[in-house]
Amino acid sequence: MKVLILGANGMLGPHVIKALEERHELRLSDINELDTPHEYLQVDAADIDQVTAAAEGMDAIINLSVMRLDRRLAFDVSARGCYNMMAAAVQHGIRRIINTGPFYAVAGPTYERFDHLIGPDVPPQPGTFLYSFTKCLGQEICRVFTTQYDVYVMDLLFYMFLDPDAHDTESESPIANLGRDLVPYTVSWRDAADSFRCALDVDLDLLPSRSEIFFVFPDLPHQKFCNQKARSLLGWEPRDQLEQYWKKSPG
Amino acid sequence: MPYSPYTSYLRQTGTNHEFASRDGYEAPGVERIEDLKILITAARSPLPRLLAHSLEAAGHEVRLTDRADLSPLRRFVPSDLDHTAATNELVRGMDAIIHPGDVDPGASVSEQLDYQMRCTYNLLWAAVEESVPRFIYLSSLILLDGYHPAYAVTERWKTTPTTDAPALCYHLGEIVCREFAREGRIRVTVLRLGEITSPSNTDPSTSALYEDDAAQAVDKALTCEHSGWLDIHHVQSAVPGARFLVGQPWWSADDFPPVSLGYTPSQRD
Repeated sequence: MKVLILGANGMLGPHVIKALEERHELRLSDINELDTPHEYLQVDAADIDQVTAAAEGMDAIINLSVMRLDRRLAFDVSARGCYNMMAAAVQHGIRRIINTGPFYAVAGPTYERFDHLIGPDVPPQPGTFLYSFTKCLGQEICRVFTTQYDVYVMDLLFYMFLDPDAHDTESESPIANLGRDLVPYTVSWRDAADSFRCALDVDLDLLPSRSEIFFVFPDLPHQKFCNQKARSLLGWEPRDQLEQYWKKSPG
Repeated sequence: MPYSPYTSYLRQTGTNHEFASRDGYEAPGVERIEDLKILITAARSPLPRLLAHSLEAAGHEVRLTDRADLSPLRRFVPSDLDHTAATNELVRGMDAIIHPGDVDPGASVSEQLDYQMRCTYNLLWAAVEESVPRFIYLSSLILLDGYHPAYAVTERWKTTPTTDAPALCYHLGEIVCREFAREGRIRVTVLRLGEITSPSNTDPSTSALYEDDAAQAVDKALTCEHSGWLDIHHVQSAVPGARFLVGQPWWSADDFPPVSLGYTPSQRD
């Protein structure tokens, strides 16, 4: 499959590229320079002409672009960038879109503080926090496109990432500390990347609708959030359960 | 005193019992303040001009703004509604902000989206920071065009936005308002307006809203009681075959009394 990756030079990009490069033909793009053996285009996700040109000839688009802090850029990249991506997909007849964001683009503080077993299909309540809010707007723009056009959007939502082999368990990590629990929405980099492989493989006709949201994290025992949909619909099987963090240390 | 969400807008005088609160409290007597300071955005559009004229005639003090410089328009302050101190200065001291979701048809889709999302977000944050108590977003009934005209569509129905720029912009603007309201940062009223038409139009569409009715609805929204977070009201005129119901009280699962805008479309011959 010919796959355009927007924002390929971000944190998740290298992991996704590694997970896909053997089976797919990748066209990477980012606003920054990128040293890569794959085809590369310098693209500003906020520029509809650049995005449209980059999408030509592709079978799928993966959107990893993100801008968290600057208010103008956050809206440009996370919200308008999605409009540009969807307009480009419609123009070029690209039916498979994989969008990304944080879980709290759906389950913001109004869910997070009080509820458990939160799944990805609850009505979005991102709150006004810039990052989650702009990602939620982008997600909604994608959804509206799917109501009108024959294009499928899978939103893969993440939060904390770590490498269980390299994560410094002695530190006072805000994510995870050995035997002292972890953020109940944490996933290893390689498992996160593997969810993109699944989203490229899944038969679009088997999806319940043209716009589906997935929470991507392993089988954490907290029951705070629910990952069942990613497992059952995408066939995603996390390898790293991260139990060294949520089980007490021996002795 | 029991909570009364509108007391900051009303002055007790001991003479008027028109407004009753939602939680059993009945004001001993209230009267509308008639010198509200009101900011209206998108001043280049016809509806904001009309509203400014109407509200000034009612005794309110109106400030107009737009991204385009419309000087020497009276009481006009240009603003790009950016994330700057100038936007805070623009809203400082206002009692209410009226923010139409109309898009400039001359602007690109990208510019229109930017205005409805980022600029609305900036405006709301500035309003919160400057303690502006009320924000009125003027949306559109086109967000419900996806339903069959025979359906009794009210505010309880899910919107059906499309990717057409006006509908998408209204929809996204409503989402911006919704999240500020959800967090209780500011009281937001969304008025979904019908198709604005002049009084001389003798063949209005079934979702038409005459200008004087629009002005009445906005006037009511400035002072009506408020649920405390997000209130949505549909507003159209009494035209033959009127497509949307107006004046339906919000359903609530608890015993909360319904919120009403108090809008009554004018009867015409």
